[in-house]
Amino acid sequence: MEQILVNGTILAANYALIALGITLIFSIMNVLNFAHGQMFMLGGLIVYYVCVVLHLPYALALIAAVVIVGLIGMLFEDVFFQRVMRISNREENTMLLAVGTSLLLENAALSLFGEKQRAIPPIVSGVYRIGNAFLPASRALVLVLSLVLIAAVLVFVNYTKTGRAMRALAQDRTATLLMGVDAKRISTLGFGLGAALAGVAGGLLISISGVNAGIGTAISTKAFIMIMIGGAGVISGSLLGAVVLGFAEAIGYALIPGSVTYLLIFVALIVFLLFRPQGIMGKPAA
Amino acid sequence: MRYFEARGLTVDYDRVTAIKDISIGFDEGQIVALIGANGAGKTTTLRAITALSRLKAGEIWFEGEQIDRHAPAALVERGIAMVPEGRRVFPHMSIRDNLLMGAYTRKDKAGVARDLERILARFPRLEERFRQSAGTLSGGEQEMLVVGRALMAKPRLLLLDEPSLGLAPMVVRDIANLIVEINRDEGVSVILVEQNSRMALRISQYAYVLETGRIGLEGASADLLHNDHVKALYLGG
Repeated sequence: MEQILVNGTILAANYALIALGITLIFSIMNVLNFAHGQMFMLGGLIVYYVCVVLHLPYALALIAAVVIVGLIGMLFEDVFFQRVMRISNREENTMLLAVGTSLLLENAALSLFGEKQRAIPPIVSGVYRIGNAFLPASRALVLVLSLVLIAAVLVFVNYTKTGRAMRALAQDRTATLLMGVDAKRISTLGFGLGAALAGVAGGLLISISGVNAGIGTAISTKAFIMIMIGGAGVISGSLLGAVVLGFAEAIGYALIPGSVTYLLIFVALIVFLLFRPQGIMGKPAA
Repeated sequence: MRYFEARGLTVDYDRVTAIKDISIGFDEGQIVALIGANGAGKTTTLRAITALSRLKAGEIWFEGEQIDRHAPAALVERGIAMVPEGRRVFPHMSIRDNLLMGAYTRKDKAGVARDLERILARFPRLEERFRQSAGTLSGGEQEMLVVGRALMAKPRLLLLDEPSLGLAPMVVRDIANLIVEINRDEGVSVILVEQNSRMALRISQYAYVLETGRIGLEGASADLLHNDHVKALYLGG
């Protein structure tokens, strides 16, 4: 029982980073980032490359993952999304573009890193015991780092001028322009931050369960599940979705075979959406 | 050249002309009204001035500088703030954050803090609800909030788009008084777009009547109040 709680907490914290990132991008840009899982995967593989191939410290690898994936996000926003949003006002175009970027990243990762499952040696050694549960020190580190990052993002979004502009842009684009906000710059930053969060989540999770180039779609699906549970575009909802999914997964894996767990999660999600299509914290469609 | 001058403004929406050859000019410290029926082009004129709509033709001069090539953000820094139609508060942000958004382009932190105090003193209702979401305010309170938000940018020219829309008559009177006070106390020039023509003509010095995208009539507001054409069409007879 305690072991389920420990595993669920670690998963929930890691998933929260994924959900926060996709929520930031969705709320600011109104783009559903289908490449979010691929950005996660890339973060993991960058950490693998820096740690295992280059033999550099994990901290440096994690910073590299944040910076590189964040820059890829900003580049995608600036070069692809901004242009498509300017010349077309149909939402499915940005969706298709996002799917395209996911294929681009996945194939780039396949040719750069191959298709093998990659992992890194434990970051720190040792095991903590909490009641009847075991918590390896490197998992504890991942948990602490995830929580610190979540707190940092929440502080940034809620208490800084740029974070305030991001929230404003998510609520009313025209009014935000009238405040003198450079909407392009804020969108690029927001996309970069969302991507960086996916990258760091991948860089953290690789130390627990490993990453391969094909994992992206599964992670994106999890991200979608979380924002459907919590409510798309709502930060508190994304955190709640992460907690629900993290614990559902931990409980399911402990009690029933893995593939059945996700089958049950999907069935539960469909039933849930029939009754509350806007998610737990989402606003009902007007 | 006058303090503000727009010459020959023309805007097309999807190749249909929205406004054509609109020219507006006034001196510093004036309140100028744009009145006219729905769809006459009042909002489009404001959007053209704030660069939210692209000009097909025309030029705009403010304080001796040509501003029609500026981006919306640059215009805020140049001292032009607009309160859009329908108020458009940031509903899920606190009153405080809404007001601070108004000061987004300002770098003088001390000045921003001072202006925040001053605006809260002017609107005690907002101070009472300082930490609440703007979405919970009444229509009249939201109007005060967006005017306060615009003032946080320290504008010298304030554009107001239908501030009385959807408000009870009592509240409309408060808003009218507020516009006059701001104009007097802060020395802000005002372009006021209004469906409520009577209110607009009472508090402005000069007015333009827009008719299907063009200026049909213009003159001193006091004269237009007694003009038979204006009376029949815009003041309910």
